Amino acid sequence: MSDPQLSRRDFLKVTRTILLTASGLLGLGGLIRFLSYQSQPPAKIEFDLGLASNYAPGSRTVLPDVPALLIRTEMGFSAISLVCTHLGCTVESMPEGFSCPCHGSRFDSQGKVMRGPAAKPLISLKVKTTEDGKLQLFTN
Amino acid sequence: MRRCIVIASTLLLLTMLAIAWWESRGVKPVALTPSLTGKVEYCLSCHADLPEISKSHPIKTFGCVLCHGGERLAMDADLAHSTMRGGKNPADFRVVEASCGGADCHSGTAQAQRDHIQRATTSIQATYAGAIAQIRFTYDAQTDLVARLGTTAIQDSQSTSGITSLAAFDPLQESNPAVQAFGQNCLICHLLVVPSQTGGRYDHFTGCAACHTLTQVANLTSTDTSTATRVHQLTTAISYTQCDTCHNRGNYDLRTMTFQPRLDNPTDRLHDYYQPIAQFTKCEYTLNCIDCHTRTEVMGDGNLYSSKFDIEYIRCKTCHGTLTELPNILTLTDPNDIAFRQALLNPVVTLQPEDDLLVTEKGEPLWNTRLLPDGTYELTGKSTGQVFQFKPVMGSGCEQDPEEQSSAACHKCHAVQR
Repeated sequence: MSDPQLSRRDFLKVTRTILLTASGLLGLGGLIRFLSYQSQPPAKIEFDLGLASNYAPGSRTVLPDVPALLIRTEMGFSAISLVCTHLGCTVESMPEGFSCPCHGSRFDSQGKVMRGPAAKPLISLKVKTTEDGKLQLFTN
Repeated sequence: MRRCIVIASTLLLLTMLAIAWWESRGVKPVALTPSLTGKVEYCLSCHADLPEISKSHPIKTFGCVLCHGGERLAMDADLAHSTMRGGKNPADFRVVEASCGGADCHSGTAQAQRDHIQRATTSIQATYAGAIAQIRFTYDAQTDLVARLGTTAIQDSQSTSGITSLAAFDPLQESNPAVQAFGQNCLICHLLVVPSQTGGRYDHFTGCAACHTLTQVANLTSTDTSTATRVHQLTTAISYTQCDTCHNRGNYDLRTMTFQPRLDNPTDRLHDYYQPIAQFTKCEYTLNCIDCHTRTEVMGDGNLYSSKFDIEYIRCKTCHGTLTELPNILTLTDPNDIAFRQALLNPVVTLQPEDDLLVTEKGEPLWNTRLLPDGTYELTGKSTGQVFQFKPVMGSGCEQDPEEQSSAACHKCHAVQR
């Protein structure tokens, strides 16, 4: 049998390989992290809302992540953006419409301006029902 | 040779580990993408502990950079702060247009009542034109009391007061030593100047923040000091203590042209509100300044003036009427009435359509008042929330001359003794 003891030369070779590999991996990891870093992640414009059957007829559901109000009537689904057209604050849904907590703009239940400073109505958003009965909301 | 390579490899790995360790102990970036700008910023990585500046400026909507400037992506403090506007105060008048301006913000139209910057920067509190004209007239540097100089040069072609521009007052250009001394010693409390004493009772910011960022305890007798030295907060609920960072601090000695601070040491509101020499009625010290003085009086109406008396117009009769006239009443019918906006910003009252409010002779609604069914009136303190009920002069035992409506005339009977 050959001598199982590692020679000094082989030991140095293995050590060198391990050190260089570890350094390389660390450097590569840093490089990947640097190159893949997104300082400006793209804004989400499409939202999956789950099954349409989860929303009862006559319901008005606030979707805080969008933000939007999903409305289901007998006619189908519609959605209104809850972003105030004045400066972009999130408006609050009330029984008689919408109210902006920042600067006091008021909108009726259809999003039409009732009181400034907002000058434009709340934006209507596109809602699509997929073939498998799921809802998708688009903000673009 | 192999040994050298191993040593070099070891050093390389140690260096890489040191870099990784150094990176791991640094501040973790916290990204915020305000809805108004849509551009990510990392200010919250270090400033997450700051309170939201106001309900009207939510961080998720405005972010930080829109108002403050700065390098939004920088994680190094010096670099991040290197391009901030106005240092810690973006509302300083030198930078306010870039920080707070915009048609939908604070430099919109007068019709929409969004011309705050235009009004504030031309106001007598910013230009100090009245005091400058008075002193120059007194020392024969000009022949009348018409303002020609202000703290900075300013143009206002739309001014309807007859004054469309002011040149910058420069004490070194004055020949009279007294006027020079006035410029050096007395121009210490207009809205562009940083107070010489910081951290004290007269400490305040410059520009809009001089009034709208509270630096003083809201009530002298209050044991709650949490309201003192507030920063990063904007409010329209401004206590008299904030007004007194400039007003009622003392007097100017015209012989020596130096400011003489008041020497009394008031321990209650009655004695604190005004200087000892002042005469006033109970409501003048029970209420706060802004409970009576309107936004136009305080922030100006967009015109350049020669004196504060050209813009101040609220009198006792504005709320109390006279023996022959009741005060003016406005019934809220316009949903865009400025009263609704003012009440929203400082929600001490909830206004409803068809509410009856007192209104000034210039048409400014006193949104914190209302006419009660029994013919009396109610005022809610804008800073304190205290509710006061008061009656009209008409039908009372008052023996006033309806033609005499200066405060001095009312003080004859209603002055409070201290």
